[in-house]
Amino acid sequence: MAENTISLVSFVLTLMVFSYLFGDAPLIGGLYRIAVYIFIGMTAAFTLVVSYEGVILPYLQDIQDQSTSWTALGYRADITIMFTALLFALLLLLKPINRLTWLTNSVYAVVIVVGAAVGAVGALNGTLFPLLQATVALPDDLTADFEVLVESLLIFVGTMTGLYYFHYQARARADGNEEQSRVGRGFRHIGKAFLVTTLGAIYASALLTSLTILTERIGFLFQFGA
Amino acid sequence: MGRGQRFGIALSAFVAFAVGVTTALSLLLGDNPALFGNQPGAEQLAELIAAPADALLRLATIVVALSIVIGIANLLYVHAGKLARGKFYSAVLLASFGFTVFWQVTRPGDTSLLEAAQLPIESALAALVALSLLHGGSRVLGKRADIWGLLFVAVVVVVLLASAPLAELAPLQAWRDWLMRVPVGAGARAILLGVALGAVVAGTRALLGQDRSVRG
Repeated sequence: MAENTISLVSFVLTLMVFSYLFGDAPLIGGLYRIAVYIFIGMTAAFTLVVSYEGVILPYLQDIQDQSTSWTALGYRADITIMFTALLFALLLLLKPINRLTWLTNSVYAVVIVVGAAVGAVGALNGTLFPLLQATVALPDDLTADFEVLVESLLIFVGTMTGLYYFHYQARARADGNEEQSRVGRGFRHIGKAFLVTTLGAIYASALLTSLTILTERIGFLFQFGA
Repeated sequence: MGRGQRFGIALSAFVAFAVGVTTALSLLLGDNPALFGNQPGAEQLAELIAAPADALLRLATIVVALSIVIGIANLLYVHAGKLARGKFYSAVLLASFGFTVFWQVTRPGDTSLLEAAQLPIESALAALVALSLLHGGSRVLGKRADIWGLLFVAVVVVVLLASAPLAELAPLQAWRDWLMRVPVGAGARAILLGVALGAVVAGTRALLGQDRSVRG
């Protein structure tokens, strides 16, 4: 596609999306929805192409080559995996038949538990242990830099009280109401301060990113218009 | 619910449990010869233990790819039905889908359609997020005028002003850097640890067959 055509199509589509700002004004009210439906159609098409070219086709080509194997179990295991996957895909098509829904759900169950196992092991090895180690680690020389020590302590307190904020514990009183301990309430308040600060920073970063994109798009519109 | 159906559900829960535990153990113990000391054949043993997880992950990858294809086929089927009832927007969706597939098949490796249509729409939608964020931020001030709302706004103002390319605001950059390094770092760690703990709990629930999606 020629460079001018790309710019023209980009210009028109950007204007169509920005027509959202005018709401349901006559003539231009539907332009935003047209752009969104074009976007959904294209995304579906690109996803289909990537799934086929990136996953299905390489696997189909691989199982034709007997000298290679995906796992330590050998070439025959590859064939079994491929045919099991195809069988599972066929079972997914049974979803509309109410009496056989359990078969479709079984396929989902296998995929979900494999994902859950990967997620749980990944969270343990990739997030929990490294972050806990980094949180409790102290500087090498405690006397050398007092500022670093204070910062390390603050990070430790912030992380622990932030985690504590997600935890709720209360005593039952004689009148049937609940009562939180003062220490627990204090921890929760400190944790909340750290979490609100973090959410504020995340919000500001997201705002900065989207403002940068907005100025780039507006700049493009003016540049193309000129 | 018939006896056969109940048996099927119990069987699927058992299979899911077996598959989940096998995957988790295989991932934890596999590919780590150090676990088996200096014994001969430790490497082969570690490789063999890693094989079930490898096989099940590949199986799940192919099933997910095929289910994406089935999902897209369902999307097209639904919109073809709507088109038959005269819905204009479904025609737009089907036309853009057909055109994109035709383009990708006839011009493999050509990214000009991506640059001309997909990226501008994505960028423009991301740009509109700025307005939604501003609207949401103003509502926080209006609805939560307490100390937490003020703290939230103060952090946002410091981070935004420190990012402005103005020499007068340079001292704010040191504040912003400290804020990002210490309190935000601590809060982000707390959130990530919370998410990781949640993932472990949700994963364990699924492995034990306690999750509704696994019980059928």
